[in-house]
Amino acid sequence: MTTIAPPVVRTKEPSRSTGGRSGPVLWMALPAFVWFVFFGIIPLLGVLALSFTTWNGIGEIVPSGLDSWKATLSDPGLPHALWVTFLIMALSWAVQTPMSILIGVFLATSKRYREFLAVLFFIPLLLSSAAIAITYKALLDPSFGLGSGLGIDLLNQDWLGNSTLAMATLIFIVSWQFIPFHSLIYQGAVRQIPTSMYEASQIDGAGRVRQFISITLPQLKYTIITSSTLMVVGSLTFFDLIYVLTAGGPGDATRALALAMYQQGFQANLMGPASAIAVILVLVGLVLSLVLRRLGGRADDSQLEGA
Amino acid sequence: MSNNPISRRNFLGLAAGAAGAAALAACGSSGPSNSGGSSSGGSGGGAASYWSLSGPPGEPYRQAAIDRFNKANPDSKITGTFFQNDAYKQKIKTALGANQGPTMIWGWGGGGLKEYVTSGQVEDLTSWLGENAAVKSKILPSSFGAGTVDGKIYALPVETVQPIVLFYNKKVFESAGLQPPKSWGEIMALVPQFNAKKIAPFSLGGQSRWTNMMWLEFLLDRTAGSEVFDKVFAGEKGAWSDPAVLDMLTKIQDLVKANGFQKGFSSTTADSNADQALLYTGKAAMMLHGSWSYGIQKEQGGNFVKDGGLGWMNFPAVEGGKGDPSNTVGNPGQYLSISSKATTEAKDIAKKFFSTTLVDDEEKAGWVKSGGVPVLTGSESLFTGDDAGFLKDMATIANGAKVFAQSWDQALSPTAAETLLDNIAKLFQLQVSPQQWVDAMNGVIGK
Amino acid sequence: MATVTKHRPSPSVSGTPGGTRRRNKAMAYNWLGGGLSWVWLFVVMLPIYWIVITSFKTQSNYFITNPLVPASDLTFENYKTVIESDIVRYFFNSVIVTLGATVPAVLVSFMAAYAIVRGSGSRILKGMNWVFLMGLAIPLQAVIIPVYLIIIRLKMYDTLAAIILPSIAFAIPLSVLVLSNFIRDVPKELFESMRMDGATEWGTLWRLAFPLTRPALVTVAIYNGLGIWNGFLLPLVLTQSPDQRTVPLALASLSGQFGVNVPAIAASVTLTTLPIVILYAIGRRQLLSGLTAGFSK
Repeated sequence: MTTIAPPVVRTKEPSRSTGGRSGPVLWMALPAFVWFVFFGIIPLLGVLALSFTTWNGIGEIVPSGLDSWKATLSDPGLPHALWVTFLIMALSWAVQTPMSILIGVFLATSKRYREFLAVLFFIPLLLSSAAIAITYKALLDPSFGLGSGLGIDLLNQDWLGNSTLAMATLIFIVSWQFIPFHSLIYQGAVRQIPTSMYEASQIDGAGRVRQFISITLPQLKYTIITSSTLMVVGSLTFFDLIYVLTAGGPGDATRALALAMYQQGFQANLMGPASAIAVILVLVGLVLSLVLRRLGGRADDSQLEGA
Repeated sequence: MSNNPISRRNFLGLAAGAAGAAALAACGSSGPSNSGGSSSGGSGGGAASYWSLSGPPGEPYRQAAIDRFNKANPDSKITGTFFQNDAYKQKIKTALGANQGPTMIWGWGGGGLKEYVTSGQVEDLTSWLGENAAVKSKILPSSFGAGTVDGKIYALPVETVQPIVLFYNKKVFESAGLQPPKSWGEIMALVPQFNAKKIAPFSLGGQSRWTNMMWLEFLLDRTAGSEVFDKVFAGEKGAWSDPAVLDMLTKIQDLVKANGFQKGFSSTTADSNADQALLYTGKAAMMLHGSWSYGIQKEQGGNFVKDGGLGWMNFPAVEGGKGDPSNTVGNPGQYLSISSKATTEAKDIAKKFFSTTLVDDEEKAGWVKSGGVPVLTGSESLFTGDDAGFLKDMATIANGAKVFAQSWDQALSPTAAETLLDNIAKLFQLQVSPQQWVDAMNGVIGK
Repeated sequence: MATVTKHRPSPSVSGTPGGTRRRNKAMAYNWLGGGLSWVWLFVVMLPIYWIVITSFKTQSNYFITNPLVPASDLTFENYKTVIESDIVRYFFNSVIVTLGATVPAVLVSFMAAYAIVRGSGSRILKGMNWVFLMGLAIPLQAVIIPVYLIIIRLKMYDTLAAIILPSIAFAIPLSVLVLSNFIRDVPKELFESMRMDGATEWGTLWRLAFPLTRPALVTVAIYNGLGIWNGFLLPLVLTQSPDQRTVPLALASLSGQFGVNVPAIAASVTLTTLPIVILYAIGRRQLLSGLTAGFSK
């Protein structure tokens, strides 16, 4: 290191000092870290430990080696729950993202009525999942719901009783709940795009659609990543809505991992297998967040260290 | 990459440590820190805690009992806390798991109680009830069954007896010119007739799953008697394989296929009372439901109940069935146990509460007023006014039943109950055949 | 990029940035987005409309009346029930819990995110970041029993603090992820010039990174705040006495033993949501400018 020629040293200095400064900045990460270890990691280790035991949740905890893992991994319900989890994640992302972008772009132009729209769009976010589930269950009731209210028999479907419809309904309600929030993020992002970029392309004779594709979308790239992170990670752990809406039903059509874990643990009193599912859930989340990190981190990481 | 094994070993080491810690924590807190539950103030005098369900119709009467006791016993205090049904189930489990449960544990008896017993969470009340025969004699004998595990009583029956009955809308029957069914054959014959009039023969809150279960319970009992389920309950291998079970499951799917239930019944929920609304609004002719539905229909159905629109009966017989048609299914009572982890002082308060307030006349009158038949004996004289007819019939059904079976999901262990409800939902959606159902259920027998 | 973030401040507060308006005029109406927004408005409002009108129905005509037509005889009975159930107190409990958890959670996450980005050469910080990433997928339900045991050990059972402390912890992973992605985009030259000016890391954190990260902070705060506001499990398991109830718990306790009193639930949802909607309507410009401030960076 010391033999490096002066000019090189000069360009390297800042980045090395960044690295060297981990001392001064390290303590800044400590409050969050300690807090999280205390209430997140220690309990998680407890759960990991529980996955090697047999416990009905109320009695004595008996170590039982790999029993819970064997039971969990051989249960055909597990791949199904993984599939359902993935489906919910993918579908809710695929529905929410384009809709949020389009609505966000529309709302970005400041007209009074659009701001008014933005206020109304915000309301679903304020409602608890339980309240939303209760509302939708009432509206989707095939005898007393929306269909009978509007007099449209087409709407009197077996919304929560048919496997495909129940999944579709769930995705719809998730979108209903969260599209407003993501639209808001996109609205903010779109307003940030310099007007000059549009003016320039207009001179080139670009139409609205082309502008959207060649300017708006690329400019929104990082917003899309942030919003997708929230959607994907959120969909992994959400549970209240499914629990109240379908309880995983009909049958196991909407039984995602988090719900499967809850039902094993708190309804069937099988804390061992439930803990095993929880560990699997964390692993799935870890993989996902690493992927998202890769997408979001855009290599600055390696630049900083490598330089 | 190279330090992977090390980190894994560390990880496991940590995990083992955590296991110990969790176990320690679970055992440790059973020590002196535990005062039989809540941290509800370090009250120097006697204090006991009581957890139960919130909301109408029960909460006011539960609270009244506590108030009455506290007033009569100024130096001992019971603190009641009430939770919503689903919330309670989770709360009580978390609390018991951490040895922080209340002195008095409210429950449904059966499989749930059995888990408490095998976990050593609740007191054996057998000898106490032996010494206090007067208390025992004030409670309907049939209610003790679900509070008994392996011949020992672990829970005191409280509150009300709730048989499941077949409700029907008299007006709908009248205007259709039809008679209420007296047998399974007549039920199946009524189905097309109501369908032709665009009235759902039966209302069913199929989304709630346990509503579907009531059909299985009655049909199995009427075709084969109570013995088949007794074998299941006893954990006998392959007990579901009885031919009567297949027969019963086939009958149910026949009813579903014949459009016996309203369109989209799997999306109808019982928790918003939509199933009951179908009956009192005349969109459905009949409904199998717990006796508590009477109170709900009376409150929500306008003048429907008051004008005599609501009819009820015990589930009719099945032609050639072996079951006694007097048998019934439902909740033979609600149950109150005493935590074995509570202090002696708290236990004594609970026992005093059990032997005085919970069996007094005001308690009896209160539950009658709530629209139920009390588990306490001699309540018939209290049945007066509008509800007298209904209450008398419920008491007759409950007391006249040769077998008052507990609802399956409550009789079985929570593990088996989950599988049961799941498979019942699939059965009603015709997703599984009767044979598949039997195979799935045999898999969780005794679990 | 730096320039973009620099002219972010308040134009959106005082009105429309000129450019946006011009852009709007210059271009054809956005039919797709416009149509979609109006359709979506209908979709969003219908259930909300249903909640509001249902809250004025009695339980007995809830099933008898058309679900989408207000009852002819409005009743305030549900609101009376809800207010008598001490909902105001629960509302303030919820406010305390939400603010008490969101503000520290966002601040400590921000500091951690800053440290992770600035000290990215440090193995320790890398390890910490890993731990946070792992935490992203921890469902609260999975760890509720150990959390409960910890809270009891801390002798905090049945206090609002019992809800606040774990809520902070569970808001940290996502907040760190979003915030560090954001801080990473701040041009290095800016940090460098701060350093040249002799600013400490602590000073840089607050004077440079904080204002530049404001939109992300707002996003993260809202996201976590809403989650905590509506949280059900932690209050259920970690508190017991009615005094410590939060709104979602209070809502649940309005249900009966055998069913849900839908109109009463609707009334309490309306009542407890209204103040936040008003708050949002008043503060939305601030909030939007926070978001607008440059999410795209």
